[in-house]
Amino acid sequence: MQFQTFDESYVERLRAGDFRTQEHFVNYFSDLIQLKLRSRLRSPQAIEDVRQETFARVFVALRKEGSIRNPERLGSFVNSICNNVLLESYRASSRSSSLEDEEEKDLPVAPVDILGALVAKQREEKVREILEELPERDRRLLREVFLEEREKDDVCRDFGVDREYLRVLVYRAKQSFKILYLRGVATGSGDTAAVEKL
Amino acid sequence: MDHIEAVRQKATEKYLLNELNPDLRDQFEEHLFDCTECALDVRAAALFVEHSKAALAESHVALPAPVAAPAMAKPGMLAWFRPAFALPLLATLLAVISYQNLVTYPLLKQAAATPQIAPWASIHVSTRGTSTTQISSRSGEGFHLLVNIPPENSFASYTLSLSSPSGKLQWTRTVAATAADDTRSVYVPGAGLESGIYTLAVNGTTTHSENTNLGSYSIDVQVQP
Repeated sequence: MQFQTFDESYVERLRAGDFRTQEHFVNYFSDLIQLKLRSRLRSPQAIEDVRQETFARVFVALRKEGSIRNPERLGSFVNSICNNVLLESYRASSRSSSLEDEEEKDLPVAPVDILGALVAKQREEKVREILEELPERDRRLLREVFLEEREKDDVCRDFGVDREYLRVLVYRAKQSFKILYLRGVATGSGDTAAVEKL
Repeated sequence: MDHIEAVRQKATEKYLLNELNPDLRDQFEEHLFDCTECALDVRAAALFVEHSKAALAESHVALPAPVAAPAMAKPGMLAWFRPAFALPLLATLLAVISYQNLVTYPLLKQAAATPQIAPWASIHVSTRGTSTTQISSRSGEGFHLLVNIPPENSFASYTLSLSSPSGKLQWTRTVAATAADDTRSVYVPGAGLESGIYTLAVNGTTTHSENTNLGSYSIDVQVQP
């Protein structure tokens, strides 16, 4: 997935139904929406529902003339629609045991993406490499926070570090990983199944 | 929230670690959806976290159990033994000791071994009068007072007190009485000595701890530069 600037031309292509642009749009914002929703919704199905509803509304709005007055703020527009959908989701779930309480359903199998799988494999190896280069204590610290999902304050206390140490640790690891990630982004590989999900 | 503020606040890391309060989180997301740079940052970090989980899970068995770090104790007396304090402190002490051994003590030894010639004046305690004893000394130089105390059986000891021209007590010394004529040499140090009339008060103390004023004597000190 390439990172692009959102401008009038991009929005016009989206309106015109250009497949590549739509694919990029959905891939780009799917990740951000999922990251946004995962701290607000527990169920993956609820997250997926809100994501799909957000895109559906964005595309409906795009077809209306003058709906997007500032193409550079397309991201904010998507974010505000996502917020609205999320609020409706909260209201719906308070009325009935809906999205939040649903059991995780089997998601349809995504089409096989060989290039994407290779890139993912490369990323996994790079992450392993980064983790192996870390001191033993830092590795354990990350495991307790990310894998075991322990309370961060407790973990930091156990390891005799503060929260800033944890942030810096994540920052450094992210910076090391970003080089490979950017290479993957440049090849245009990634999760290409998002458009098909719509 | 703008990009500079997001970077300054380490918003990406805080966002992934769920450390932003709801207001800041909304502000950052508003920015995140518009800023490709922050979006790239967050996506990269999120991917790293996702892959880390798998990698860390695989290495879980191999890794030893975490050892809790000792709780941060309040700094007490032992804190001074920490290298951060102890090393500069030791270095300073070493410098002071070296200076004393190499400079101060040799000078003091030399001064102690060299005969000193100092001015002197005598005071006869039995002489009661209004005359003032005069003495001159150089700046920083002390002088001797030869205090002659006539033998008197009723006193067990004598107390000598010197007051400065401003009336401030400089020092007090007690000497035991002897049977014979008692002349004592009292050295008045030069440090802090100023021109003016000093007063030496002499008191006798009986064996029953009764004090008697034997007189006060004026000493006109002239300190010459």
